[in-house]
Amino acid sequence: MTSASMFPRRLLLGGLAATGLAAAPARAQQTDIARATAFIQATGEELVAAINATNAPVAQRRERVAQILRRAVDVDGVGRFILGRWWRTATAEQQQEYLQLFEQVLIRNLSARFGEFQGVRFSLGRTQARTEEDALVSTIVERPGNPAFGLDWRVAEVGGQPRVVDVIAEGTSLRLTTRSEYSSVITRNGGNVGALLVAMRQQIQTLAAREGG
Amino acid sequence: MAGEQVTVGRAAAGARRRARPAGLAALIALGLLLAGCATRPDPSDPEAVAEFEATNDPLEPWNRGMFFVNDGLDTLVLRPAAEAYRIFIPPPIRTAVYNMLGNLRSPVILLNDVLQGEGQRAGNTLGRFVLNTTLGVGGVFDVATDFGLPAHGEDFGQTLAVWGASEGPYLFIPGLGPSNPRDLLGTGVDAVTNPISAVTGGSIFDPITVTRIGLQVLDTRERLIDPLDALRAGSIDPYAALRSAYRQRRAAEIRNPAGATDPAARGTGFGVGAGASGPGR
Repeated sequence: MTSASMFPRRLLLGGLAATGLAAAPARAQQTDIARATAFIQATGEELVAAINATNAPVAQRRERVAQILRRAVDVDGVGRFILGRWWRTATAEQQQEYLQLFEQVLIRNLSARFGEFQGVRFSLGRTQARTEEDALVSTIVERPGNPAFGLDWRVAEVGGQPRVVDVIAEGTSLRLTTRSEYSSVITRNGGNVGALLVAMRQQIQTLAAREGG
Repeated sequence: MAGEQVTVGRAAAGARRRARPAGLAALIALGLLLAGCATRPDPSDPEAVAEFEATNDPLEPWNRGMFFVNDGLDTLVLRPAAEAYRIFIPPPIRTAVYNMLGNLRSPVILLNDVLQGEGQRAGNTLGRFVLNTTLGVGGVFDVATDFGLPAHGEDFGQTLAVWGASEGPYLFIPGLGPSNPRDLLGTGVDAVTNPISAVTGGSIFDPITVTRIGLQVLDTRERLIDPLDALRAGSIDPYAALRSAYRQRRAAEIRNPAGATDPAARGTGFGVGAGASGPGR
């Protein structure tokens, strides 16, 4: 989840801002679903509060959002998934820098849009189990003056804790879209992972410049 | 090489302005002939080959040329027009336009509901059309949603998919956005099967059709201003991101997942039928 902001990505981030949840249907994964639901509810409320804290300076709100995302998102796992087959061709230094940049992209994508998400709210959707490890928690995100849209959160247990591993806006997975995009950048640069890192650094600068609050 | 693509793209864009559905097929054939295909990856690298297949974009060099052409067309014409529409037309009137366009599309949606054997959704579409045309004063007000009949979209591209047709190679068409042969054919069939074209004699040059298509383009592009700006500003490869999003979103639309929101007023403007469904929809 990260960078290139495309609509879904943007939705997704909007969704990060807004989340909610309802009780899950009883299945074998009952405990996990309830946990995932409570987790998304709590995380969403924290994000909404951070975004709507307009009396705090932007930098302070960004730092708060960063704290929430670091705790709630499986940044390393998602980052590795997105880099896919290129993870193995990257050097250890490139891997490390990539994960740092990836986290920054995630945070900056949200902080660059604080203004846009002002007044965001989320409400509960349904929660369904998808696979052995994942729960899919659906939410409805509303912003003043905009139609509501659906946002689904894929939650997995990572190291015994629920973590967000994907966000799906209107059928579009942020994780898959970003993976396709990053791979395209690397492939078009002759398989050079360094080219992706350059592009990500530029993207972070662009997003930082847009961060007006 | 890039220069070649651009030249091809300009010629194709010119053709597109005059094109009807049949012209689009010729346009694709032209692109195939002139642009050549993407370089296939080394066959000894199974992962690269698998990714190439999964991306489903053998015409990528040509498509990227079209994407570039579309950017120019959009910057010069479509986006400014959509901005003017947003600035000069008050929101209640824009909402009325959106509702009317959706209502005019209902017969096509109904036809495709039926062709896909979706009885309940067909009933929903029929109910919406009757309610909105009468109580909704010719479609100006979407009263059906208040009666518990929310809008959904269908098109002949989706019907073909339900019938088992594969999408074919990814295509980017200037003015139309992301597509593929299946969805492009569907767009043509949708235009022909719209009862309005029977009323107006099937010409795309009569005033009613020109007005409808013009409004459709403005409405669609206006709704895409913010999502596409965000894409352009934030993506490190907008072409690849849009391609992935379009294909995922189409797959989801074809499945008709419960609870999915799906706009009834699908336009003919830039990005239409795209994974480009932003919050502005």
